[in-house]
Amino acid sequence: MLARNAFQSLAPLAAFVFAFDGDPLANLLLGGSVFLALIGATAALRYWFFGYCITETSILIRDGIFNKRQLDISYARIQAINTQQNILYKQLGLVTVTFDTAGSSAAEGYLPAVKSELVAALERRIRQQPAVLPVPHESESASAPPERRELLRLTAGDIVLNGLSSGRVFLLFALAGPIGEYVDTHFKESIEESAVIEALTAANASPGSGILVALVVIAAIVLLLFGISIVGSFLRYHGFAVTAGDERLRSTGGLLTRHEHSITKAKVQSVVIIQPAALRLFRRFRLRVRQISSGRAGSSRDFVVPICRRGDVPVLKREIFGEELADLSPDPFASGFSPVSPYYLRSRIVLFGVLPSIAALIGLWPVAGPKAFLALCWLVPSSIYFWLSWRRFGSSVLQNGFALRSGLIGYRVNVWLHRKVQRLTITQSPFQRRRKLASIRFHLASGSVSLPFVDNAMALQLQDYLLYRIESS
Amino acid sequence: MFTNPEIAVDELPSATQVEWQALDRRYVMRLQIKALVTGGVALGALLVARLPGMPIPAGAPYALAWIVVGILVAIGLLWPIWSVPRKRYAVRDKDILYRTGVLWQSITAIPFNRMQHVETSSTPLDRRFGLATLQLFTAGGAGGDLKIHGLPADIAERLRAFVLDRIGDDTERD
Repeated sequence: MLARNAFQSLAPLAAFVFAFDGDPLANLLLGGSVFLALIGATAALRYWFFGYCITETSILIRDGIFNKRQLDISYARIQAINTQQNILYKQLGLVTVTFDTAGSSAAEGYLPAVKSELVAALERRIRQQPAVLPVPHESESASAPPERRELLRLTAGDIVLNGLSSGRVFLLFALAGPIGEYVDTHFKESIEESAVIEALTAANASPGSGILVALVVIAAIVLLLFGISIVGSFLRYHGFAVTAGDERLRSTGGLLTRHEHSITKAKVQSVVIIQPAALRLFRRFRLRVRQISSGRAGSSRDFVVPICRRGDVPVLKREIFGEELADLSPDPFASGFSPVSPYYLRSRIVLFGVLPSIAALIGLWPVAGPKAFLALCWLVPSSIYFWLSWRRFGSSVLQNGFALRSGLIGYRVNVWLHRKVQRLTITQSPFQRRRKLASIRFHLASGSVSLPFVDNAMALQLQDYLLYRIESS
Repeated sequence: MFTNPEIAVDELPSATQVEWQALDRRYVMRLQIKALVTGGVALGALLVARLPGMPIPAGAPYALAWIVVGILVAIGLLWPIWSVPRKRYAVRDKDILYRTGVLWQSITAIPFNRMQHVETSSTPLDRRFGLATLQLFTAGGAGGDLKIHGLPADIAERLRAFVLDRIGDDTERD
């Protein structure tokens, strides 16, 4: 805990040393002494008031200096155990443990700086809970950890591809604009005076050479951003491997900070196989194993396999769902997906293409005159968007589960077992009623998924079948 | 011994062929009074805006505000007459069904063995009309997963006890 506080206090200490006038060494000595005393006192207080107890049925955590908090997490509620180990902790043989619990958003268990052996002991204790899995011989299970099989290990090439396809690149692109503007404002004068410009002027550079310089600069920025993303990918996923035991999946990886994430297979709500445009280029997939969420936006606690090959997907699916979904192909390119009605396309184009265009035409006519007809151009991108979306939609209903394919340029296949559905809603708009169609929304504990524009009779039959499957599970 | 008998999907009980229960008719009046109170507050604000010293100009925007408030109050008074009779629920042995919607119609089904907890609530206006709301929660949701407004308070309480009993039965079976 002392180490954790010290690490967090480095930034204010550095700020103090350089922000105040006077000798930096004297500032460092004074600031360092004060900060060390404060860190020590805070760490001692936090250590003094923090306590945990591992009982037969739950973990009790008590903390808080002023605001006291006591948490009682029963083992049956624990969805996943995650650990993190940064360089400092690695030297000290410590890990930070977090527990994902069913449905909660804030009050999740958190054990800072505990010995790594404790995690194995906790996992053993959780395994012994009858609510999780009945264990016939307790002594056997407590003695030896279960055998783990390696399902997947990322190669250096995979990690590079993950960095290239990461959404972080686009975030960095967005940041590049303001940074460029800042550089342009602050260094314009010095750049103008620089030797490069002088050289170009002296050589009586043509406009073409200016464009070339701009292209080289843009290419350098793009390469730099991809480089940053690849480095980030190596930092997070170096040595990434997914292993499976009898009841849990576990992923480990990370260069400086070691991340370990485990999830109980029985508590998996759905699996999402994603192939965004960039990964489509590399013929790779991404997997999100979803567990119970709190329902808050952005409170994702998914078990993520950042990149995998086509052949890895069925292996992971079989490991998670066992034989229950043996007849289901999670491959987005499989032929078993039934398309949704073409009326989906018509309805969406009318609602989000034609109507907004006509409204804009009428609204702009008094001020823009005939130029208001340009508003009808909106019909082209909106029609393409919904045509692509309609082409991707497809569903595959099987005896034990469901697969729903969607996407725009890439693909996304959501797979779940019927018995994991919490509730079901069938909706019909006036247009759908005329065409004897309906939309079905499946509410899972990890979020809801919608299948639009399917035959109403089929939707009602599916509802009856799903209720039968859920109620008899 | 493990058995796996074949199921005839056509013979499964249909969730649409059930005896739907209507909400209490007093719920229409309760919604209309709420619309009147809300409209009254809005109209009061418009009148205050015309008091001497207030910097609100008379003219088209002010007249438009009166028209908008008038239309909203009229909708608030008329809409419950159509919408409330279309909200219906059905309690079966293993699940609860709720049907709603005038233009966009939907049927929601929640099995008892997926419910986490249940609660009833009533506002002062609900209590004046002897009404209550039943809220059913399933795992993973942020708020009440299904709310059935406009139930007579005694029926809401009986439903709550029944659902709790069914949740308990399913937990014991699990």
